[in-house]
Amino acid sequence: MMSEVQTKTTVRVRLNVNGAVHELDVEPRWLLSDVLRHQLGLTGTHVGCEQGVCGACTVLVDGKPERSCLMFAVQAEGHEVTTIEGLTPADGLSPLQEAFQEHHALQCGFCTPGMVVTAAALLRDRPNPTEEEVREALSGNVCRCTGYQFIVDAVLAAAKEGRS
Amino acid sequence: MTAEMLKPRFTGARVTRIEDARLLRGQARYLDDIAAPGMLEMAFVRSNRAAARILSIDTSAALRVPGVKAVWTFADIPITLVNSAYPVQQPVLARDEVRHVGELVVAVIAEDRYTAEDAAELVQVKYDPLPPVLDTRAAMTDEPRRVHADRPNRFYHKVQETDGFQQAFAGAPRKLKLTFTTHRQTGVPLETRGCAAMPDPASGRLTVYATHQSPHNFRAQLARVLGLPENLVRVVVPEVGGGFGIKAMFYPEYVVVAEAARRLGRPVKWVSDRTECLLTDAHARDAVHEVEVAFTEDGRIVALRDHVLGDTGAYPFLGFAGAVGEAGWATDMLTGPYKIPYVSITIDCVFSNKAPTGPYRGVGGPIGAQVHEGVVDAIARELQMDPADVRRVNFIGPDDFPYETPTGNVYDPGSYRESLERALALVDYERLRRQQAEWRKQGRYVGIGLCSFVEPSAFAESEAGSIPYEAASVRIEPNGTVTASFGLGPTGQGHETTMAQLIADQLGVDVKDVVVLHGDTDSAPFGGGTGGSRSGTIGGGAAVRAGQELRTKLVKLAAHLLEASEEDIELTEGKAQVAGVPARGLSIRELARIAYTDVGRLPEGMTPGLEVLVRYRPPMAATYSNGIHLAVVEVDVKTGFVRVLDYVVVNDCGKLINPMIVEGQIHGGVAQGIGSALLEELRYDGNGQLVTTSLMDYLLPSSTDVPRMRIEHLETPSAAEGGFKGMGEGSLIGAPGAIANAVSDALAPFGVFVTDLPIRPEQIVRWVRQGA
Ligand code: FES
Ligand code: FES
Repeated sequence: MMSEVQTKTTVRVRLNVNGAVHELDVEPRWLLSDVLRHQLGLTGTHVGCEQGVCGACTVLVDGKPERSCLMFAVQAEGHEVTTIEGLTPADGLSPLQEAFQEHHALQCGFCTPGMVVTAAALLRDRPNPTEEEVREALSGNVCRCTGYQFIVDAVLAAAKEGRS
Repeated sequence: MTAEMLKPRFTGARVTRIEDARLLRGQARYLDDIAAPGMLEMAFVRSNRAAARILSIDTSAALRVPGVKAVWTFADIPITLVNSAYPVQQPVLARDEVRHVGELVVAVIAEDRYTAEDAAELVQVKYDPLPPVLDTRAAMTDEPRRVHADRPNRFYHKVQETDGFQQAFAGAPRKLKLTFTTHRQTGVPLETRGCAAMPDPASGRLTVYATHQSPHNFRAQLARVLGLPENLVRVVVPEVGGGFGIKAMFYPEYVVVAEAARRLGRPVKWVSDRTECLLTDAHARDAVHEVEVAFTEDGRIVALRDHVLGDTGAYPFLGFAGAVGEAGWATDMLTGPYKIPYVSITIDCVFSNKAPTGPYRGVGGPIGAQVHEGVVDAIARELQMDPADVRRVNFIGPDDFPYETPTGNVYDPGSYRESLERALALVDYERLRRQQAEWRKQGRYVGIGLCSFVEPSAFAESEAGSIPYEAASVRIEPNGTVTASFGLGPTGQGHETTMAQLIADQLGVDVKDVVVLHGDTDSAPFGGGTGGSRSGTIGGGAAVRAGQELRTKLVKLAAHLLEASEEDIELTEGKAQVAGVPARGLSIRELARIAYTDVGRLPEGMTPGLEVLVRYRPPMAATYSNGIHLAVVEVDVKTGFVRVLDYVVVNDCGKLINPMIVEGQIHGGVAQGIGSALLEELRYDGNGQLVTTSLMDYLLPSSTDVPRMRIEHLETPSAAEGGFKGMGEGSLIGAPGAIANAVSDALAPFGVFVTDLPIRPEQIVRWVRQGA
C-alpha cells in the first residue's frame, strides 16, 4: 500500500523522438506510450491493452519494434525512438502506407500505426519476405477488424515493389 | 435514365478508402486523443466480489491525495438505470449491494489518470459476501438465491410452437438429441471504451464525446437519464477503433462522467483499460441449446425442437437484454436456409452474478447457425450421408421465394443451393474427400466443415437504434463540392467511402469531391446508427435517394440555363451537359454558384440552394443475405492443436457497393469466428471471479492463426434501393459452425461430435484418449 499523501517526484529526461530532442519532466513510472501521446502529442501511437499483448503501441527503439506500453519513458533516454509520425512523410503517404490503402489493410485504423511500424522494420531487414515471414513478423500485432489477409497482402506488395 | 446512370462509375467498384490517409498517418482522433484545457480524468473502484452487501465505503484517504477533485459513491450520484422491459434497478454506482465483479462502486476524479488510480487504490470498501448465482440451470429455480431480491432470476420465458409440431415430431422415423453450449465471449474492439464530457457554461449545453455506434441513441439515453432536453446535449462520436456491437450499449460509466463534468464545471474524461473492458464490455454467447430433431431416412428434417437457456448476467442493458436478444435471434433463425416445416421453441433467460451480456457481432446468429449446421451434420453422420447431400435435400429452393419460415421470417430471394455448389467447386470437393481419406490412412486428421447461413439484415429494429429508416442530408456547396451527413455510427466499416460512392454516382462527380460527415448530433440528421448490418442497406438507400433528389434539381436547373429539355441533360464528370454535346454544358460548380449566389437566374419557383434531407425506409422488415463457409482443418491429436488449412466463403449480400470493403468485412468476421470456435472464452471461477482479465488469458486470433481465405461473391439483389443487403455479421455467423463441423469431421474416427464452443486443445486430447 502506498503512503497516503504522496509527493510526486519528477525527473528530467531527454528523449530523442523522430529525430528531435525533447527535455521533459516525467514521473519515473510514466509509460513511454503515455509520454509520447500525452506529453508530446504523438497520438498516432495507440494503446490497446497496456498488457504488452496487442502491439498497437509499437514504436521503433533504435530501429527495433518495441511495445511502448512496456517501457517507462525514463528508459528511453539515450535511445532513438521512432513513432508512426516519424515514418510518415510531410505530405501524403509513404510507399508502405500507400500499399496499406491500396490493399484495404485497415478498417477502424486502431492497430494500423503499430502494424505499419512493425512492417517497416521487417521490410528494412528483409526486403523480400515470404508470406509466412510476414505473418510471423506481424503475429505480435492484433488486428480485430481485418483478419490480417489484406495487411499481409499490403506488406508483400510493398516488398515486391521495393517500397517500405 | 441516362447511360451514365446505367453504368455507375463508383458503385460496385473497388474504390480505395477516403478515411485511410488520416488513419495511416496516425492523425485520426480517437477518444483518448481528445484533450481540453483543465480536463480531469476519472478512475473507478470496481467490485471485486460477484455478490456481496456493501457494509461501508471509506473514501477519506483517497480524498487526501493531492490532485483529487472528488470521490463519489451512489450517495453522491443517486442515479439508477432501468430497462423498461425487465425493470430491475441498476444503480450507476453500486448501492448497498454488488452483483458482479467489475461493477462500479466508487468514482474518483483527479487531475490525471495516474492520480485518480492512486486514489482509487486507497478507497476501502467493506463487503459482506453473498452466495453468487453462477449456474444457469440452478438460477432457473432461484438457487442459490435471487440476484435481484424483488424478481425471480428467470426473468424471461417464451414458448412458440408451430401447429401440428407434436404430431409431425412423433411421426418421424428418426430422431436425434443434441445439446449445444457456447461460452462467454466479447467483441474486444482494439480501442477500449470511453467518454469525455465538456460543459459549456455559456450556452448551458453539454458536449459528450463517446466511443459509440449510435450517436442519437446515446444522446437520447443520456438526456433521459440526466433529465436534460436533447437540444442541450451534443454527442460527438470521434474516430472509433472497432465496435462489434459492444459499443452500441449505454454503460453506467458514461452517466457518471457526464454528471461529473456538469457538477464540476470542467471537462472530464474516462477511458477504460483492457481489464475493465474484459470485465464489463457487453459479454455475449452465454447460452445452452437443448435440441431435438426429427427426420426421415433420406435426411429430410421434419421438425426441430430447441430449448434455450440464456444467461444475461446481473443487469439487462438499456434497450437490449443480451440473453433475450441472442436467444431471440438464434431461434428466430433456427431453420436457417432449410425448409423445416415445424419448430417448437422454448426460451428461458436468467439473471446471474456475472457481467451483463449484450450484442456481439451476429448476436444470436452464430449460435443459431452452429445449431442448424450441427444438426445437419449430425444427421449426415447418423445416416452415413455426405453433409453436402443432407443440405441439398433440405435447402429452400430458388422457386420457393418469398419463403416464410415457421418462425415468421419472410426470406427474399437468395442463393442457398448455388452458394453450396460454388463452395464445393472452389475446393474440388470430391477430390478433397478422397485426399482426406488418404491422409487419414497416414494418420493425419483433416476435416471439412460446412456452414450455410442466412443473415437477416437491415431490420426494422436492431440493437443500435430501433428505427426502420435512415436519413441522409446532402448539399452541394456553393463551390460545387458535396457534403453529406448521416446519423450512422461507423467503427471501421468505411462509410465515408461507400456513401460517397453512391452519392457521387448520382451527381456525376468524383468520389473524392464528396465529404461524408457522421457522428455529431449537432450536424447529423437523426439516425439509428450502425448495428444489425443496417448501414449499407438503409443508409445506402438514403444516400441514393438523397442523391437522386439533388440530381433532379440539378438537371432542372441545367435544362433551364442550357435551354434544353430535362430528358436531354446528363450529369457526368462534374458537369451537366446536353447528352452527346459536351460543348453545351455547365459545371456543377457553376450551377452551384448560380443556385446560391446568382438566384435571379433560377427557373420560376425553384428555391435557392442545393440541399436535401431524405429519409429512406426499405419496403421490407428485413432483407436476408446468405452464404456458406467451408473450412478445412487439421487436428493434431497429440496436442489438440487445430490448424485451419483452407477457408472458402461464398457470400451473397445482394448488390455490392464496394467488393473490397465487403471482403475486408468477411475476412475480419472469419477471424473472429476462428477465435470464437478455438480460442476465446471469458471464464469465471467458482466464486464468480473473472479469470480472463487480460489478453494473455483471453486469446485473440493472430496473423498466424488465421488462414488465407478465398471469397466468391454471388449477387441476388434485395428489393431495397440499390438492391443492397446487409453483410456486417454474416461472416461471424458462418465461421464458428464451419470450424466446429470441420473439427467434428476430422475427429469422426474417434466418435467425436463438437457441440461446445470454444473447442480447447485439452478437450480434444481428452476426446481422442476416450475415443481411441
Ligand atoms: S498497448 Fe502495448 S501491447 Fe497493447
Ligand atoms: S483495423 Fe481495426 S484493429 Fe486493425
